Amino acid sequence: MSARRAVLIVDDDPFIRKLIMTTLEGVSEFELHEASDGVEAVQTARRESPPLVFLDIDMPRMDGIEACRQMRSDPGMSDAKIVMLTATAEDSARTRAAEAGADYFLTKPFSPLELLRLVSEL
Amino acid sequence: MRTVDDEQQLRSRIAELEGELATRVEEAGEQELQLERYAADLRETFMQERRRSEELRSSYMLTVRALASAVEARDAYTGRHAERVAAYGLALGKVYGLRFTDDPEIEFGFLLHDVGKVAVPDAILFKPGPLTDAERLVMQQHPVTGSEIVREIDFLGAAREVIRSHHERWDGTGYPDALGGEEVPVSARVFAVADTLDALTTLRPYRRASSLAHARAVIEEASGTHFDPEVVAAFRSLPDATIEQIKLRVG
Repeated sequence: MSARRAVLIVDDDPFIRKLIMTTLEGVSEFELHEASDGVEAVQTARRESPPLVFLDIDMPRMDGIEACRQMRSDPGMSDAKIVMLTATAEDSARTRAAEAGADYFLTKPFSPLELLRLVSEL
Repeated sequence: MRTVDDEQQLRSRIAELEGELATRVEEAGEQELQLERYAADLRETFMQERRRSEELRSSYMLTVRALASAVEARDAYTGRHAERVAAYGLALGKVYGLRFTDDPEIEFGFLLHDVGKVAVPDAILFKPGPLTDAERLVMQQHPVTGSEIVREIDFLGAAREVIRSHHERWDGTGYPDALGGEEVPVSARVFAVADTLDALTTLRPYRRASSLAHARAVIEEASGTHFDPEVVAAFRSLPDATIEQIKLRVG
């Protein structure tokens, strides 16, 4: 198992990834990793075992709900905190994400202070 | 030549581009909302920070005033000496052209200059006659004691210089470090004039209060010996009305 010193940021929109990376840079000693779809996210999670994941729902190749499910089945990820980034319209997706093992929801547009709070709680 | 097929291909390409455009527009709208949220959080954080720093500033000021009053409460004669000296010092500093007049640290220093007197016994502090050499040594220790008392209070910053050096003289014959000329911190050089002004123009057990004109003459007389000549020059251009207003306001 890895040292678990990473935060994983997953969104297909590079603008959102950049925004989150910039917000969290240097805030904690955790390394920041990014992924642009579910497949890449699951691979990175397996490699880094991040204790915190920000995960968009609507993405190409594999959506955030499936990615969440696969991460949860990874023994290295069983107690990671998975935060779903959702649009307000995705209420039904929330239910499915919760069933897939998501811990927390941030509604877009999300509050940067909330992001910072989640990371500093680690 | 254009065929029907070509036209259909073109139409479907246009539809495709329109779809892409619609997606981009939607994305741009989401990004804009996200940035607005960042801006709102930033504004809120800034205002909260400003409120807190104002609260902190005011707590510092109240704490310093409380401590200064505790020092003064021992001596009925000096009354509100520290408050007046602080006001004179700030007014003089402004004329002298010091940037520090906006800096609360200097005001803290003016207010707390005599904090070390808490360690001077009543028998010496209130002795009606002249002090013996031994008593004078104890008395002259108060700037050192004062600077030790506040040594670890970081928010006092440059105030600590005023506390330690307020009895230094321009000609180097002051205490506790016998600093001379510009070795004496500028805040302490300004303070020295303000302190003498207040001492002369208020009633003391051993003499009556002097007129402002007399106080001005005494200060001029000591320019270049006790006082920095440039500070005295600044004092010369400080209007009587300003000094009288302070005296009236502070009491």
